[in-house]
Amino acid sequence: MLSFIIRRLGQSLLVLLVTGLIAFSMFRFIGDPIDNMLGQERTIEDVERLRTQLGLDQPFPVQYYRFLENAVQGNFGVSYRQGRPVSEILLERAPATLELAAVSGLFALGLGIALGVFTAIRRNGIASNFIMSASLIGVSLPTFLIGILLIYLFGVQLRWLPTFGRGDVVDFGWWSTGFLTESGLKSLILPAITLGLYQMTLIMRLVRSEMLEVLRQDYIRFARARGLKDRVVNFRHALKNTLIPVITVMGLQIGGIIAFAIVTETVFNWPGVGLLFINAIQFVDIPVMAAYLMLISVMFVGINLIVDILYVFVDPRLRVDSAGGH
Amino acid sequence: MADLSTSAPTKPGRKGRWARFADSDFFYSFKRSPVAVVSFTVTMLLVLSAVFAPLIAPTNPFDPASLNLMNGFTPPMEPNAFTQESFLMGTDDQGRDVFSTILYGMRISLFVGAAAVLFAMVLGIFLGLVSGYFGGWTETIIMRIADVQLTFPSILVAMLIFGIAKGFTPVEYRDQMAIWVLIIAIGLSDWVQFARVVRGTTLVEKNKDYVAAARLIGRSPWAIMIKHILPNALSPVLVIATISLALAIIAEATLSFLGVGAPPTQPSLGTLIRIGQGFLFSGEWWILFFPACTLLALALSVNLLGDWLRDALNPRLK
Amino acid sequence: MLHRTSALVLTAVLATPAMAEEFQWAGRTDPQTMDPHAVSSAPVLGFLNNVYDGLVRMSKDMKVEPSLAESWEPIGDGEGWRFTLRQGVTFHDGAAFDADDVLFSYERASDESADVRSWFSPVTEVKVVDDFTIEFYTNAPNPLFPASIANWMIMDRGWTEANNAARPDKENGNFATLNVNGTGAFKLEDRQPGLTTTLVPNENWWDEAEHNITRATFTPIQNPATAVAALLSGDVDFVEPVPIQDAARLEASDGVNIIRGIETRTIMLGFAHEADTLKYGANAGDPNPFKDVRVREAVAKAINVDAILQTIWRGSAEAASQLVTPALSGYSAANAARPSYDPDAAKALLADAGYPDGFGFGLKCPNDRYPNDESVCQAITGMLAQVGISAELDAMPVSNYWPELRADNFDMYLLGWSPGGSLDHEHPLRFLASTPNEEKRLGSWNFGGYSNARLDELLPSILSEIDPAARQAMIDEVTALYQSEHAYVPLYTQPLVWGTRDNIELTQRPDNFFILRWVTVN
Repeated sequence: MLSFIIRRLGQSLLVLLVTGLIAFSMFRFIGDPIDNMLGQERTIEDVERLRTQLGLDQPFPVQYYRFLENAVQGNFGVSYRQGRPVSEILLERAPATLELAAVSGLFALGLGIALGVFTAIRRNGIASNFIMSASLIGVSLPTFLIGILLIYLFGVQLRWLPTFGRGDVVDFGWWSTGFLTESGLKSLILPAITLGLYQMTLIMRLVRSEMLEVLRQDYIRFARARGLKDRVVNFRHALKNTLIPVITVMGLQIGGIIAFAIVTETVFNWPGVGLLFINAIQFVDIPVMAAYLMLISVMFVGINLIVDILYVFVDPRLRVDSAGGH
Repeated sequence: MADLSTSAPTKPGRKGRWARFADSDFFYSFKRSPVAVVSFTVTMLLVLSAVFAPLIAPTNPFDPASLNLMNGFTPPMEPNAFTQESFLMGTDDQGRDVFSTILYGMRISLFVGAAAVLFAMVLGIFLGLVSGYFGGWTETIIMRIADVQLTFPSILVAMLIFGIAKGFTPVEYRDQMAIWVLIIAIGLSDWVQFARVVRGTTLVEKNKDYVAAARLIGRSPWAIMIKHILPNALSPVLVIATISLALAIIAEATLSFLGVGAPPTQPSLGTLIRIGQGFLFSGEWWILFFPACTLLALALSVNLLGDWLRDALNPRLK
Repeated sequence: MLHRTSALVLTAVLATPAMAEEFQWAGRTDPQTMDPHAVSSAPVLGFLNNVYDGLVRMSKDMKVEPSLAESWEPIGDGEGWRFTLRQGVTFHDGAAFDADDVLFSYERASDESADVRSWFSPVTEVKVVDDFTIEFYTNAPNPLFPASIANWMIMDRGWTEANNAARPDKENGNFATLNVNGTGAFKLEDRQPGLTTTLVPNENWWDEAEHNITRATFTPIQNPATAVAALLSGDVDFVEPVPIQDAARLEASDGVNIIRGIETRTIMLGFAHEADTLKYGANAGDPNPFKDVRVREAVAKAINVDAILQTIWRGSAEAASQLVTPALSGYSAANAARPSYDPDAAKALLADAGYPDGFGFGLKCPNDRYPNDESVCQAITGMLAQVGISAELDAMPVSNYWPELRADNFDMYLLGWSPGGSLDHEHPLRFLASTPNEEKRLGSWNFGGYSNARLDELLPSILSEIDPAARQAMIDEVTALYQSEHAYVPLYTQPLVWGTRDNIELTQRPDNFFILRWVTVN
């Protein structure tokens, strides 16, 4: 067991290194940060001097090695654009993204499960057919368009909700939260819906199909035959059994939520790490891009690792398999 | 296609391919589902009009010499103030006929989507079969690569590949290359699903007696994988492929919004929407509205079709 | 609406109603630093004009007016300039302002680590005469010197040195990157880089305040549609720039005003003058047709600038005939005519030059640098195709664009030029028209390598001539030269479109700087 975990850790580390290398090699093609750092009246001399100063004249494996060397010590360098340590910037932006991800995740989970159960129980009802088809509209339009349409409708036409940003935030140490003010909560609604819509559809469909499966099982039929109430059967027995796959999928979808936060944050000017990343691409802020990609990789590899290890705990057959063969 | 059953009369004993198909459970459940029939019809209609775009479209929007800038921003069905020309769905900022541009753009979207899914499918099936069948280090390496792939969310993968490929492509080919790079970028971020499903099936099937028997009579591993194991995985692969097609079309649009899509001189539906969203507040609603509706119709009908396929091919849910 | 509060004062904030004079504004880019000498870019200098002052400043109509210097006069026979400084001025932290701070700011801004040091390349020596008099000596008579330092902002020696920020540090940042101690009309209250920047009035400002703002918050909003939505919904009071296509609609909608002006930036096409062969398109590798002035003229005549202005710019941009706009000094009124749109003449010129069937080449274009840059390039591609030359358009983000141009990877390219610094015709002459010369720092943006001996010969005299008429005569001569050789094809001057809520009054300055002290909230 321990050796399995150690091996998995080793593999994960390798994955991280490879991902980092790929990401790093991309930066050469994103553009040249120098032009964003120097004004219109710069000379070729200035350009060369700055290039040497930033180490950009080195071959990229050397640059990558230096980056890794520093990253291991927790030093992600200094943003070309802001002239501040990248770790500081990321820390400042993380709460916005995490709060948005959490709210949209909860929205997806809550509404997804509710609608999934409903459409499974009323399998052939008009309402559930309508919900099933309508939910597909949500995944048949690109996220950015949904966001823009929501802004147009609720922000500009109806003026119910703010069009951009996070509203007022309250600081607790380094963490800033939008949960405690009215404008902060209002500002969360549209971005959270935009971001969570896809996952909501996914969960709804998953819950529905798992429910349908479970409802067909013998023990459910027996339960019904025994005269248990429908509600008890549906919720105590059927729903409980559908939740395990839902939680697994949700775990893997955290990645998708964080990634698509890039699009949502761009549309809503949401001050999170996704917007930071998009701005970094625009200004070729290599330290910020590198740190973001590494951070995302660490997170995803971590999630993967946890899921893998959990599986081994849950399913002893896999344990034998992995320990023996591979 | 819904009326195929009548065009292929059933003769007892010697049934044609179509007739057998028309008699199948699969086709029966298709006929019985209005959603499936409608979404299939819409999909086919859109696909055909994209394929025959040069015959249907009034103008060729990809030919810069045919454009008249003065036609720009003409509302639908209204004559232009300068040129007096009028267009079914109006024109965009370059004076391009929106209707023609949609037809041509849909070609690119469908081509990119279909090619990306095909690429992902072939790659995923191959890697899934190999890793499931051979196991060992092969499996470990492939599944670790799959983890890397899952590690990076699809749009990030696509942005990475786009960035790298653009750097390696000689500039003079960039315009043509953009499309291929998109296909590879979207395809590469999609293969894992196929690989996982195929690997799962392979793991289950490879220990069954008939595979052991085939191995005993000396069939090559490749023959066993492709002829015996793969057919068991085809239903889920087909479902994933259909849903991936819709996702790929959407992904292309999203990438375009992030600035790594098809070039605006040869716009896809996604690029058209990206351009059109800039005119949402300016009153030229048609530049966004028609491409968005087309994309919605296309993705929705493909999604509905995939949805129905999943149910139809999953006998347990019948 | 974008305050940050600590948890302790939360209840107080919830109870406080928003005050009428709170002003929210949004722009495309965040000023990347608060250090006025570290980066010479319009977003930075424009923003910092609100918190720092220079010796001189630009008025509402772009005239040089006194600021921290009350007056200035030439020294002797054009050896330099003597500035008499304003007395009784204090920095935001209360420290007094004197000539030593000016000397310090000169040392700081002309340091190798400062991005603005090119402003001081003509300066040979700076002498403090007394606490409120300071002299700048130049290597040659320099009539434009006072105007050219309008964006040079004065920092306090004591504050800067005490905080280890005596030299700008663009790479790693320092105290001055995030903090401000200026003499300007506003003080920096809070700075969240990339998110929000909050200013409050400086009650001890030396000048009379025209505004009635109690607090102003700036938020960068990159997506133009989001910014327009924010203005329409009233979430912000002011947005710049407003996408040109939205201007008319916004004007018609309730509660929003649109302010239009003409910016100082001229958009033009540039050619590869030096390259022997074409690099892109169907004829890559063939001899470079753009070396022939007839081909360049044909391009100029093939482009229907009026159509571009009419549709893409919706009638709010102005056609350009030369490298600067009529609003700027040194504009050559004698050469105000631009080539007329004449596709037949263009075809004839091409046939004459030996290209009756046209040719294929590559057009480089940025897609996020200037408003509508990509649309304009697309339109140009179409117009050129109509006279038989087919451009392969390669549009890219600006971060890729400048490296491409520096590496000579173009046959034809789109360029915008705003004569920052001097706001005079000499500026583009130096950077765009002069033969590239690294040593003399000339022609550093003349990517195509245009070269004209007469122009190079006249340029030093233009820079040092004090008599306005003689100077203008020389500028007229070189303008006629580069026009007749079609060194560039000037296209248009882009409009400056700002959007405000209708209770806001403000002044739009042609250099696109938003000056907060001219804002009134009604």
